[in-house]
Amino acid sequence: MILLFFGIAFVLSLLIFLFANRIIMAVGSTLFVALHCLLTVYSYKNLDSFDTVYYQFDSLSVLMNALLSILLVPTLFHSNLYFKRHVKDVKSETRFAAIMIILATALSSVYFAENIVLMWVSIEATTLCMTFLIFHNRYETPLEAAWKYLFLSSVGIAIAFLGILILATQATSPEGANLSVSYLASVAQKMDPFFLKTAFVLILTGYSAKLNVFPFYAGTIDAKTVAPSPVNAIFSTAMINAGFIAIFRVYTVINQTPLNSWAQNVLLVTGLISISLATIQLFRIKRYKRMFAFSSMEHVALILITISAGKAGYYAALLHLVFHSFIKGGLFFQFGQVRAFFHSGWIKDTGSYFKLNPTGALAFLLGIISVTAIPPSGLFITEFMIFKALFSEGFIVTAVAVLIMMTIIMYFIISKTMHLLFADLPENFKPDAVFANRLEPVSQFVLFFAVIYMGFNPPAILTDLIKQTIQLLN
Amino acid sequence: MVIVLIVLFAATLVYFFLSERVSNFIWLLAIQGTLLFGIAFNNLIHIQLLGLIVILLETLIVKAIIIPWFLNRLRHQNQLKRVHESKVPVFYSLIIISAVLIGCFLMSYTINNEVIQLRFFTVALATVIGGMYFIIIHKNIFSHLVGFLIIENGAFLLSLAVGGEMPFLVSLAVLLDVLIAVLVIGVFMNKVKDTFDTISASKLSQLKD
Repeated sequence: MILLFFGIAFVLSLLIFLFANRIIMAVGSTLFVALHCLLTVYSYKNLDSFDTVYYQFDSLSVLMNALLSILLVPTLFHSNLYFKRHVKDVKSETRFAAIMIILATALSSVYFAENIVLMWVSIEATTLCMTFLIFHNRYETPLEAAWKYLFLSSVGIAIAFLGILILATQATSPEGANLSVSYLASVAQKMDPFFLKTAFVLILTGYSAKLNVFPFYAGTIDAKTVAPSPVNAIFSTAMINAGFIAIFRVYTVINQTPLNSWAQNVLLVTGLISISLATIQLFRIKRYKRMFAFSSMEHVALILITISAGKAGYYAALLHLVFHSFIKGGLFFQFGQVRAFFHSGWIKDTGSYFKLNPTGALAFLLGIISVTAIPPSGLFITEFMIFKALFSEGFIVTAVAVLIMMTIIMYFIISKTMHLLFADLPENFKPDAVFANRLEPVSQFVLFFAVIYMGFNPPAILTDLIKQTIQLLN
Repeated sequence: MVIVLIVLFAATLVYFFLSERVSNFIWLLAIQGTLLFGIAFNNLIHIQLLGLIVILLETLIVKAIIIPWFLNRLRHQNQLKRVHESKVPVFYSLIIISAVLIGCFLMSYTINNEVIQLRFFTVALATVIGGMYFIIIHKNIFSHLVGFLIIENGAFLLSLAVGGEMPFLVSLAVLLDVLIAVLVIGVFMNKVKDTFDTISASKLSQLKD
């Protein structure tokens, strides 16, 4: 089934690219999103079964793929608005749609991959697709961002490959090196601790570009600063989830050994450095998308810190990841509209958004309330659970330090939002140039309200998938 | 025979830090690709034919011919001759890379693992570290690309050191992925040169807050 999906996706992408026709693009893209949703349903129906020897539909992969399917629907709509606002020719539009299809396919391949080399290949494919999407607006800063992202990610991925190779030394079976996650987990107890530690550190370092955390975060932050909003909605959600799943797979292997607490300490240190860097960087933030990128860094860092608390934090960490995907996707979609009003991503060029576009401003405000974990946001519930886990597991100093940093981050995000919503109208504002769509905030309201609802009343399907994922660690 | 090839490979690594001419970097990468072909051929002759073909294709065709040819094209298009602006003097770099080689040699002999072939592992590790150091000390993005390729060569040598024979399809996917990545990086390097009129990394700083 999954190979069939890849085949159809590739054909659709090729048709869209070659024919460069808006009707073919619309039909092809819609068909792809429908197929992606179908793949999610199929994978859920066949939970825990293998699809070829390289792919498996386990609970975490199904959950991540479902999130991508959900986000692809509004991405389709917002990409269309992005074309109307920023893209001049049909060729650019079709190129964007074709690459987006390949990107979503590669992301699904990362989620479902049971073999860590195949996962590595898929991650490399996402890097290449993302590079072209970042550079879709062909001027200087996107080129700089695309180059930095491509180069740093490639170096990171090469480092991750070294980790995989070192893991291969510990995974020799009679048929040669077996790098399937289930086999690695089954032989984890017999592995040499030195090699396992080295492999874990190299893989975590290499994939940090995807996860948007220390050390390879810089290229990702720059890329998110200039990438088109629909691309950012995937970049800050599905791509982060891909990085998370890649590290989670190796963590499930190391979790079977006495090195578990060592790995948790590594995640704790990575998380603490990342959240500290995000806090420091927000002091001098001048662009909204960059602010959201550092906000993603903060949330992922918090997730890593929570995982370091062990079993008590797993559920909260995974639920936090899900909610973050909904909220960050919605925020980037809304920022597409903000940018359409002000023709700039700089904070200084914005103001009076509440007067100009009350519905959009309300969506933006709701998004900010959600992302800063102010009640009734679902993130408030998950963060409450996270800090409960941290305090109960004795991480008191860490929890207090993280709380302080999160308060600082919250202050900066809210103050910049107040500037957008209530500051005086910028002098260079041109009201005639605004292209607004009344339906645009709908997707954001749906995503934000979904998080509020799921925070108080998480659906059984979601909690079941998360609980089954936690069982992978036991 | 293999030992001679590995020693020659280590010598190319040292020569990367002696050289300042872009054409030398390209030649050295081509030589490393050829040496990797010899090492892989000697070491993997017993594996499945399809796997062997992919590995030989990766070394001889991709690493020794296609990538150097592509880099040479980039060199001509961007009129690159000499890399002047290494942040560290050549003399210090030579000391550092020699220390890295000796350090890796000493470290690898503390490893007690039957699977790892230490004769490859020592140079592989030094190559990866050397590639990273090469990126750090150079300021232009062409040299960064060369550094990335040195790391890739080190990773390939490491894959021989661990003796992990990957399935044919996975090996093919890895090969295509690396090749496409290098081509895309090259294309973007051209665009950087066209847009910024330089390939100095210091000019790529507009995104800073």
